[in-house]
Amino acid sequence: MGRVPYWNISYGIGIDLLAVPLIIIFLYGLYGHWKRIKQGKARLTFSLRNSSLKIGPVYIGALFTKGILGSRIYKKLFTGVAHGFLFWGMFLLSIGTALVFLNVLFGLPVFKGAFNRWFMSFALDAGGLAALSGTLFLLIRRLAFPPEGLVAPKARPGFVLMEVAITVIILTGFLLEALRIAHNGFDEGAFVGNWVAGLLGGGDSLSLHQIVWWGHGFVALAFIAYIPYSPLIHLVLAPINTSLAIPVPGPKMGVLDFSAFEDEEAEELPSLGVCKLTDFSRKRLLDFSSCLWCGRCHEVCPAAQTGKSLSPKGVIVTLSEYMNKDKFQDDSLLDEISANAIYSCTTCAACMEVCPVSVNQPKAIMRMRQHLLMERSEIPDIMGQAHKSLEARQHPFFGTGSGPNDWRKDMDIPSFEEGKTEYLLWIGCAITYEERTQKIARSMVNILQKAGVSFGVLEESRCTGDPAKQMGNEFLFSEIAQQNIEEFTSLGIKKIITMCPHCYNSFTRHYPPLGGLFKVVPHSVFINSLIKSGRLELRNGEQTICYHDPCYLGRRNNIFAEPRNVVASLGRLIEMPRNRENSFCCGGGGGNYWAEEEGTRINQARAKEALDTGAVKIATACPFCLLMLTDGLKKYADVEKAYDIAELVNNQLKDG
Amino acid sequence: MHIVVLAKVVPDYEVPSVDFELVSNRAHPRYTRMIGLYDENAIEMGVQLKEKHAASLTIMSYGRKEDIQILRKSIAMGGEKLVLIQGTSDDPFVIADNLKTAIEQLGGVDLVLAGRQSADMDRGIVPGVLGEMLGSRFIPQVSAVENEDGAWKVSQVTETGLRELEFVGNGVLSITSVPENVPRIPAVRAIFAAKKKSVQTMSGRDGDESWMSEVSVEIPKMESTCEFLPVEDMNETAMTLLKRLKEERYL
Repeated sequence: MGRVPYWNISYGIGIDLLAVPLIIIFLYGLYGHWKRIKQGKARLTFSLRNSSLKIGPVYIGALFTKGILGSRIYKKLFTGVAHGFLFWGMFLLSIGTALVFLNVLFGLPVFKGAFNRWFMSFALDAGGLAALSGTLFLLIRRLAFPPEGLVAPKARPGFVLMEVAITVIILTGFLLEALRIAHNGFDEGAFVGNWVAGLLGGGDSLSLHQIVWWGHGFVALAFIAYIPYSPLIHLVLAPINTSLAIPVPGPKMGVLDFSAFEDEEAEELPSLGVCKLTDFSRKRLLDFSSCLWCGRCHEVCPAAQTGKSLSPKGVIVTLSEYMNKDKFQDDSLLDEISANAIYSCTTCAACMEVCPVSVNQPKAIMRMRQHLLMERSEIPDIMGQAHKSLEARQHPFFGTGSGPNDWRKDMDIPSFEEGKTEYLLWIGCAITYEERTQKIARSMVNILQKAGVSFGVLEESRCTGDPAKQMGNEFLFSEIAQQNIEEFTSLGIKKIITMCPHCYNSFTRHYPPLGGLFKVVPHSVFINSLIKSGRLELRNGEQTICYHDPCYLGRRNNIFAEPRNVVASLGRLIEMPRNRENSFCCGGGGGNYWAEEEGTRINQARAKEALDTGAVKIATACPFCLLMLTDGLKKYADVEKAYDIAELVNNQLKDG
Repeated sequence: MHIVVLAKVVPDYEVPSVDFELVSNRAHPRYTRMIGLYDENAIEMGVQLKEKHAASLTIMSYGRKEDIQILRKSIAMGGEKLVLIQGTSDDPFVIADNLKTAIEQLGGVDLVLAGRQSADMDRGIVPGVLGEMLGSRFIPQVSAVENEDGAWKVSQVTETGLRELEFVGNGVLSITSVPENVPRIPAVRAIFAAKKKSVQTMSGRDGDESWMSEVSVEIPKMESTCEFLPVEDMNETAMTLLKRLKEERYL
């Protein structure tokens, strides 16, 4: 006998009618989310050249890959597969249910022939089995062996109820199928239903079928109606959130407009940064609503993993709780999260990288940091001294023992000349004012001279202003950046080589909105091109070298291959367990080079990881990373092991 | 209550010794100019007193007109008024005399705070001389000030610890640096507001400096010598190091 919809059920249409109010409840729940999200500020659009396909504000590629396919979920294999089983299983079951409705309403012939056998029976049973195994894995994991990130600083209530509901829906679905098969006979393709019918022992219980049918229907509809009020709202919000996230790596901080402060007539001045929910953009509020509290960000955060008070998950949890409690105007937000936590962020963007729903945790944290510094003048003591130095001396290295020209002592280095020089070799503050990193510039100069590159330096070393931006002082950053842009423009500078990824990031991300458009190339990329083109000849060694990815070069700018190519041309490249986009920060980002750390020191944790590879040398391509690793290594090694790739290349130049 | 804080713009006080050079017996003009280190502590203390007692706070400086942009930071920190007496002398008596005149012109000043080092090439004499000229009490090396029932309660840092002092009437205090008076970072809106604030400038009087002439100014020479000790036997190396340190009278 073929399948008959609503078989053995009287007034089955009642379930369809019941769906109407429950769908209204569902929609009302969605409206509640919109009502909360729209209290944020409308985001100013940030145009991107070479961006992926975009319709309005929606990035189509991100919508499909991260939003619908959930590509980032699979970075954690078991959890990812379980989630995939659950989602795609339920997706199949939803299609099956929709087809049944279409059959009832319009007579769509879904219960006939091969389609019935392979989709309505086999595929739906397979989907149900996949969803059941997925949800049971997630449920047991959550209850019996939750990973640290799931419970720290707190677990999200509501998931267990929904996972139990899914389990009940699937089990009752299989039971229904089995009861139908037990009465009507073997159903080709329904391998689970046939097996369960066998377990029932061939008994025929029409009344039990009716009870289970109505129970299954009620639970399923109630489950759907409850989705917007539960953590499963991420089913709706996550694809939206990922599709609206600008698909460039790392947080996009943009630049702030201070013209209102210059305006003598201005009646009301804008609040800088964020101190309450309504100061955030709608996109950020969507972030907070979309967050699953899965804790993947907590598990990769260098601050959270070394005992600091910051947990990126904790920050987003607090923000979403404020949203749920309608505390949109409550300015206790920053005190609740704590200035200590806000300043512990190294802005490494590891949290963003792993977030399955594209939440931008660093941007939220940085916005709050901007408020702390620019409105409340709150900053940790040591970072405050660096800030003060940057304000007064245009560099943050207070108490330095180096003068601005010490790095070039006894060297004949040309100054940049308009029309004669091709590249500006940008030195930057981290190289000028630290004795250890001065060797990077000296090596780079030697490399460029050896390769016959037309380059020059500025008469006076400067800072890009990046430390100010990372500490939260957009105003100071803008002042320094505008001064640099004016000088570059007057000197006719068009191409810049940077040795510091923070400078590179500033020049490429933050200078263009201020009018500074330059072709900027990081030294690792430039050296790689010189080696590839044969302009540099190296003595290849047998030494093992592991490479530490600087966050601002790798994760924030996707430059992974070039520095590795350089290292591979010097010796045998060894990878650390956490590498490339999963690299672990050195601890120096976000102004935390000037910080008194609580808990374990991040640089020591990373230095240990590098040492444990057994590599003879540790290479990096960032002066801050070099300083942090050099310092971190002191705990474990007596000899110098960390080098910038420019130093390594310079040491292995043929006839060098 | 009216408080005046004296602030002086000086060359960067953190220029590394190896990089320090003189031009015409003074620090090279290439060095960044900034408000004196302890002056900022004095400003912070003044702002705290202003906030606590709803006092008026005037920042006063003796120096060049170009210093105004730098001095605006003191307004952004919380100063209400900026007075600049234009002059270039570094004679403490000349500076103090000019400050005295300006303070008397302001009138009704109860307390004058100054950094413990600045305004006279780090000699720290100006506040004491000014106190004498104003007929006010002068207390150096002050780390905290309170006003209770019209009396000033002052903590003075000594070589061995802290001394609590109390006086009634006007006073001039030179301020030292303690964690409680770490200068605040001005909020951005305060920086913009400070840019718009008008500055009262006065022409300073030249004093009689003929009683003394500057013969020469020299920077102490930094010398470093390096001697390598053999390390084959660490015990012997340690003995050699000890012997050498004693020979050179470091021990």
